[in-house]
Amino acid sequence: MSTPPTSLPPLPTTTVGSFPKPPYLLEARRKVARKQMEPAELQQLERRATEEWIRRQEEIGIDILVDGEMYRGDMVAFFADQMDGFKIAGLVRSYGNRYYPKPAVVGPVGRRGPLTVDWFKFAQGLASRPVKGMLTGPYTIAEWSFNEHYPTRRELVLELARAIHDEAVDLEKAGARYIQIDEPAIHTRPDEDFELAVEAMEIVTRGLAAYTITHVCYGDVPKIYPAMLRLAVDQIDLALKNDDYVLLETFRTPQFTKDIGAGVIDAHSHRAETPEEVAEGIRRTLKVVPARQVQVSPDCGLKTRTVDEAVAKLVSMVEGTRLARKELRS
Amino acid sequence: MEVRGLKTTVVGSYPKIPDPPAPGRWRTSVEKLQRGEISPADMHRVEEEVTEEVLREQADAGVEVPTDGQIRWEDGLTYFARGLTGFTINGLQRYFDTNVYYRQPVASAEVAWRAPISAADYTFAAAHSPRPVKPVVTGPFTLAVLSRDEFYGNPDQFVMALAGALNRELRALVQAGAPLIQVDEPGLLVHRDRFPLFRRAMDALWDGITARRALYTYFGHVEGVYPAILDLPVDILGLDFVAGHRNWEILRRAPFTKELGLGILDARNTRVETPEEVAAACRKGAELVPAASLHVGPSAGLEFLPRRVARKKLEALVAGVRRAKEGAA
Repeated sequence: MSTPPTSLPPLPTTTVGSFPKPPYLLEARRKVARKQMEPAELQQLERRATEEWIRRQEEIGIDILVDGEMYRGDMVAFFADQMDGFKIAGLVRSYGNRYYPKPAVVGPVGRRGPLTVDWFKFAQGLASRPVKGMLTGPYTIAEWSFNEHYPTRRELVLELARAIHDEAVDLEKAGARYIQIDEPAIHTRPDEDFELAVEAMEIVTRGLAAYTITHVCYGDVPKIYPAMLRLAVDQIDLALKNDDYVLLETFRTPQFTKDIGAGVIDAHSHRAETPEEVAEGIRRTLKVVPARQVQVSPDCGLKTRTVDEAVAKLVSMVEGTRLARKELRS
Repeated sequence: MEVRGLKTTVVGSYPKIPDPPAPGRWRTSVEKLQRGEISPADMHRVEEEVTEEVLREQADAGVEVPTDGQIRWEDGLTYFARGLTGFTINGLQRYFDTNVYYRQPVASAEVAWRAPISAADYTFAAAHSPRPVKPVVTGPFTLAVLSRDEFYGNPDQFVMALAGALNRELRALVQAGAPLIQVDEPGLLVHRDRFPLFRRAMDALWDGITARRALYTYFGHVEGVYPAILDLPVDILGLDFVAGHRNWEILRRAPFTKELGLGILDARNTRVETPEEVAAACRKGAELVPAASLHVGPSAGLEFLPRRVARKKLEALVAGVRRAKEGAA
């Protein structure tokens, strides 16, 4: 654990991880699924799309970049597909006509080798600003998979934590100064399981020198407050905008002792927020958490937006943050 | 232990699409409907065909009391809330501790029943099933706790208004000829402290209902409301013995005086139970109530699983029940 490098401006801007895939990439993914295109050709296009997103983020003026996850489908299946012990059980509905390929744990889980390091190196090699290493956390991988093998959820979560820790160490060796461990499922069973989630996060981030972040969204966050302040990370990134910042009331007492990644952009609306709206969201955050503990980001990954929508939202986020920075100095 | 009289059933939902590479006709039809390429009437026909397919699949597996698979339900809340007056439909919320989401109903005016919501679907299913079909209605308490109230400002009034409205729905199902009606109330298990209100809601809900009455809870155990739930005006109580594994022990504290819905197949895990495991659970259930009062099935709706696994679970259920009966003969 560490403090962010001092080269950053106050209220650094970043994003949660995923960006929309451009139409040519969506088309290529469909073709590969129908075996009408070679995977190698798809990978070329994934690299091109990654490069486009690195350029865009730098042009927009975001401070801490992501690779945009052009090569990932589902955030759990991406890891499960590459690890020992998983198979894809089939399609399961999450809502409406949205289905996702849900993995099943059918044997001892473990890493065969690095899962995200090559893409991290590729993206960092294109960028003049720091790129975050992006991982899905052990509790979420376990919770969003079927478990046919381990007698208890605890055994599965802790084994996954050791694997994700090894991945984090490899990212750090590859030069990652920021490592984010997404845990959107962490508050699924707050009474029963939160201690397990805390224990798992300790394993994941143990001994890391990188600045660590966890992203939590959609669910009963007040129920895990203040317990979530015990998670072994430097920053907790949260969706504030989509519920009009009501979460901030929860963070008044006791005090929010971690850094906060303040979500000031609704990831699931088409409309781009105005810079003034973003600045106002930051002002509201600063009434509860001191500026030195605040980073600015969207509520969630932007992969469900169009490219144009995502860009418009990010431009507003950066402009709104600049407005808020000026007030900080005056 | 006498186990011969027990019956096999399901709790409600069933996967709407087959496993790839078979085409997910329901799913592609929804996309076409959204793009305006097919009409709502076309979509309705697709849902009827999928309902027939799901009824056949349950019958082929040997399930004695099937449901229509809730193919027309986007989720258990909006299917009913859209049919009542007083609700608008809001954004996505997580459904209990699952990775399934529902659109949250918001009560923005007085809620009331205006016309049957599920009766036509029941009639269709009953006409296309070789076995008697069980209609399922989401209960007033669960509907209230998962919705947002912007009108009543008082949880008791909101729940009781829904109980009154849904009583009309149950009456419509009786009118349509349903011999047995199931009401789902998983919400009770996350608000056990509100049992007095729950009891009043059940009295109002089931008032004057002449069909056999089943009340199902799932996703947990009944610690704190047992044996009080035995006083509710229902004939069958369905319980989850997987997520609520402790129910095995809790039910021993007082004689179980209702028929028992024995939810023993894990509806939320792809590991398929063996017939031996099912048979053993049936024998254990027969220690709690006479076998003729046992309705054996999954712990919850099967839509948490891929279609192929759901089907295998039902086959294991039927094989296990047969084994239990043979073992007893």
